[in-house]
Amino acid sequence: MTKYIIKRLLGIIPTLLIIITISFFIVRVAPGGPFDGERALPEVVKRNIEAKYHMNDPLLLQYGRYMFDVLRGDLGPSFRYKDHDVNFYIFQSLPNSIMLGVIAISLSIVLGITSGMLASVKQNTWVDYLSMALAVVGISVPLFVIGPVLQYVFAIKLQWLPTSGWFTAGGDWKTIILPAITLAFADFGVIARLTRSSMLETLRSDYIRTAKAKGMRNSAIIFKHAMKGAMLPIVSYLGPAFAGIITGSVVVEQVFRIPGLGKFFVQSSFNRDYTLIVGVVIVYSVILVIMNFIVDVVYSMLDPRITYK
Amino acid sequence: MKRESGYQMKNIMRKKQLPQTMNEFDQVVKGNSLSKDAWRRLKKNKMAVISVIIVSIYILLAICAPILPIYPYDEIVLDHQNLKPSFSKTSGELMFEKRLADLYTQAWRQGRLTLSEEQNAILETWIDKNQATKVWDYMYVEGNRQLESGTFTFNTAENRTVNNLKSKIATDLQITVDTIWTTDPQTGKKLNVEKLSTEEIVNLYATMVGNTPQQVITQYTVEIEQQILKQIKSESTGLTEAEYQSLLQADLAGFSQKERDNLTKDNVFSKIAAIAKDIAASDLKTAATDATAEFPLNKEIQIKDSLSASVKATKMHERRYYLGTDYVGRDMLSRIIYGGQVSIAIGFIGTLTSVLIGVVLGALAGYLGGKVDYFIMRVVDIMYGLPYMLLVIIAMAIFGRNILNLFFALAIISWLTISRMVRGQIMSLKNQEFIEAARSMGASTPRIIFRHLVPNSLSVIIVFSTLRIPSFIMTESFLSFLGLGVQAPYASWGSLVGNGVGGMTLYPWKLFYPALAMTIFLFAMNFLGDGLRDAFDPQSKNQL
Repeated sequence: MTKYIIKRLLGIIPTLLIIITISFFIVRVAPGGPFDGERALPEVVKRNIEAKYHMNDPLLLQYGRYMFDVLRGDLGPSFRYKDHDVNFYIFQSLPNSIMLGVIAISLSIVLGITSGMLASVKQNTWVDYLSMALAVVGISVPLFVIGPVLQYVFAIKLQWLPTSGWFTAGGDWKTIILPAITLAFADFGVIARLTRSSMLETLRSDYIRTAKAKGMRNSAIIFKHAMKGAMLPIVSYLGPAFAGIITGSVVVEQVFRIPGLGKFFVQSSFNRDYTLIVGVVIVYSVILVIMNFIVDVVYSMLDPRITYK
Repeated sequence: MKRESGYQMKNIMRKKQLPQTMNEFDQVVKGNSLSKDAWRRLKKNKMAVISVIIVSIYILLAICAPILPIYPYDEIVLDHQNLKPSFSKTSGELMFEKRLADLYTQAWRQGRLTLSEEQNAILETWIDKNQATKVWDYMYVEGNRQLESGTFTFNTAENRTVNNLKSKIATDLQITVDTIWTTDPQTGKKLNVEKLSTEEIVNLYATMVGNTPQQVITQYTVEIEQQILKQIKSESTGLTEAEYQSLLQADLAGFSQKERDNLTKDNVFSKIAAIAKDIAASDLKTAATDATAEFPLNKEIQIKDSLSASVKATKMHERRYYLGTDYVGRDMLSRIIYGGQVSIAIGFIGTLTSVLIGVVLGALAGYLGGKVDYFIMRVVDIMYGLPYMLLVIIAMAIFGRNILNLFFALAIISWLTISRMVRGQIMSLKNQEFIEAARSMGASTPRIIFRHLVPNSLSVIIVFSTLRIPSFIMTESFLSFLGLGVQAPYASWGSLVGNGVGGMTLYPWKLFYPALAMTIFLFAMNFLGDGLRDAFDPQSKNQL
C-alpha cells in the first residue's frame, strides 16, 4: 500500500514537468508577443523591455531559468500588469476559485448521491423520473446555458438572488448560490445516474438478498451494505469531475463576474501575458494532479479487490 | 474451359442452398444480424425515434441553409438593432414603436406627459429594478392613449422626428442588382456584361464616365497599389519608405497577366454595378414615395444608352424577424440556423476525425502489442493527466481564433478515450479463431486489422461516436462562448449564447433562442446515443 502511494507520488513529477514544458513552449512559439499592442513600440524601447524580461536570451536558457524559478515557487513577473508579480495575482484570486469549486463539488456529490439513491430505491416512481430528468438536464445542457438562464430567472425576473458579484468584493453570501448551483449541475447529473445504476446492480446481488433473507431492516441494508459497494464507480468518477469543475469555473466566473482564477486565465490568454498564462496553468495542473492522486488512493482503500504491485 | 468450370461452380453453389429452417412449431426461423437486431430494438425506443427525427430536421436545416428563404446571416442593418421577435409586426412597425416609446418616456421625464401618482410610483419601482422593457411597453400604450385623447402633444422637433421616421420606413429600399445587360449596337442582341472580356468592360466603363480606357486602367492600377501598400504597412512596421516600395514591387511582380486581368475586370465591374445600383435607387425612391409601384418588385432599368440592369427591390422595413435581431440588426433566425451549421459540422467532422485517429492508434496498439502498445498507451496516459481544455484555450488564444484551428485543437485532444476502448476490444478479439484463420491464410497485418478486427468492434465505435458528438459540440461552444472559438461574422451556438448573455435584461430573446436551439439538439443527441447503446448492448441498460 505504502509502495503504491509512493509510486503514484513519483508519477506526479513527470506529469507536472511535461505540463510546464508544453505550456512554456506553446506560448513562446506563438506569433505575436506580449508587447505587440495597437501602436508599434520604437525599436529601442522594445529591445530594452525584452532585455528586462530576459526575452533575448537563448530559448533553452530561458526555459532553464523558468524551471528553476518555478521549483522555488516563484512564477515570475507578469508581462502585462506592472505592479505585482504572478504569485500575487494568483494568491489573490485562487481562494475565491477554490471556495467556489469546493462548494460546487460538495453540492454535486451530496445531491447527486441522495437523488441517485432515492431513484434506485423508488425505481419507476415519480421520484425516479424527476431525478433522472434533472440528471439528463445536467448532462446535456452546457453550463454556459444553465448559468445565464438561472441568472435570468432567479436574479432578473424573480429578483430573489443577486445577478453577479462576490462576497469578498462587497456582495453578500447570497452571491455564491447561483454560481455554485450552476457549476454543480453537470457533475450532479453524472453522479446521480452513476449512483442509481450501481445501486440497482448492487441491490440485485446475492449478499443483499442474504441480508434481506436474514430479516434486516430496509434502511440498514441500504446504508450499511449496499451503499459501500455502490460507491466505487462514484469515487472513480471524482477525478474527471475535478477537471470538469476547473474548466467549468472558467465559464462560471465569466458569467457571474467572480474575481477568480478562471477569469484571470481568459483575460491573460487574450493579453498574451505569457508568465501569467503559464502560472495559472501550473496552479490548475497541480490542483488537478493532487486531486487525482487522492482519488486513486481513496479508491484503492475502498476496494479490497485491487492489488498493488 | 475456364468458363465451363465457372458455370459448374455456380451450379454447385445453387444446389447447396438449404431449405428454410423450421422450428418445432413449424415457424420459419430467419437468421438475424446484430445490426438488424439493434435496429429493431432502436425502433421500439420512443425517445430514440423522436431524437432521430429531431436530429434529421436539424441536419436538414443546416444543409439547406443557403437555399432557405431567410435573410443573410451576416447582413448588418443598423436601423434594426435589437428588435424583438414578432410574427405579426414588420420591422418598420417595431422600429416605430420603439422610437415612440422612447419619445414618450423622454417627455414623461421632462414632465410634459403627466401620469397619476399611482402610475408614477409603479414606473419608479420598475426603474429601480432595472426593468426598462416594462417601462417602455407601458409608456408606449399610455402615450398613444394620451396622444389620441389630446392630453399630450408632440412638440415641433418631435413631430419632425416622427414624420421623418414614417417616411423613412415607407421609402427605404433594399436594392440588389442581379445582372447588367448591354445591347450590341450592330446586332441588337443583349449581352451579360459580367461575361464580357476585360477589355470590353473597361471600354464600356470608360464611355460611361467619359474617360479613355487608358485613364481607367491607370486610375485602377493606382488604387490597387495603394491598397496593397496599406496592407504591407499594416503587416510590418518600422521600415523606410524605399523598403515599402520594394516590397510592393515584389508583390506586384507576383501577379500573372491573367490574375491582373481578372482583378481589373472584377474591380471595374463592381464600379459599373455600383452606378447601376445608385441609378436604380434614385429611380425607385420616387416610386416608393409616391406609392406608384408595388413592392417587392423585379424591374429592368435603363442605366446609360446601351446599358440596362435587372434589379430587385424590396422595402427594407417590411422585413419580419420571427426570432428578433441582434445588436447590429442581424436576423437571429438565420444566425441560429447558420450557427447550427457550424456547430453541427464541427461536431460531426470533429468526432469523425478523432474517431479515425483513435481507431487507428488503438487498433495498432491492441493488435501489435509490445513496444508499440507501450508507447501509444504511455502517450495516452500522459495526455490524460494534462488539463487539456486549458491547453486548448491557450492554443486558441495564441494561434489565432478561427474555425480550422479550433477544429484541430479539438481533434488532437479527443482521440484518447476511443483509442483505449478500441485497444481493449481488439485485444479481446485478436486471439479468436477467425483471426487465427485469417492469419494462417496469409492475410497481412493491415488487412487483419481493418477487414476483420475493426469491423467487428464497429458497434462499440458507433455508440461511442454518437455519444461523443454532443460533447464535441459542447466543447466547441464553450470556447466560442468565451470568445476564443468561431469569430464574427460567422456564428456558432456558443458565440450566439455568449453574445446574448450581455444584454439579457433588456433583450432576453438573444440569449433564449440560441440556447433553446442548442439544448434541444444536445438532448436529442444524448437520447439517441443512449438508445443506440441500449440497442447494441441490451445488458448495458440502466448503466450510465
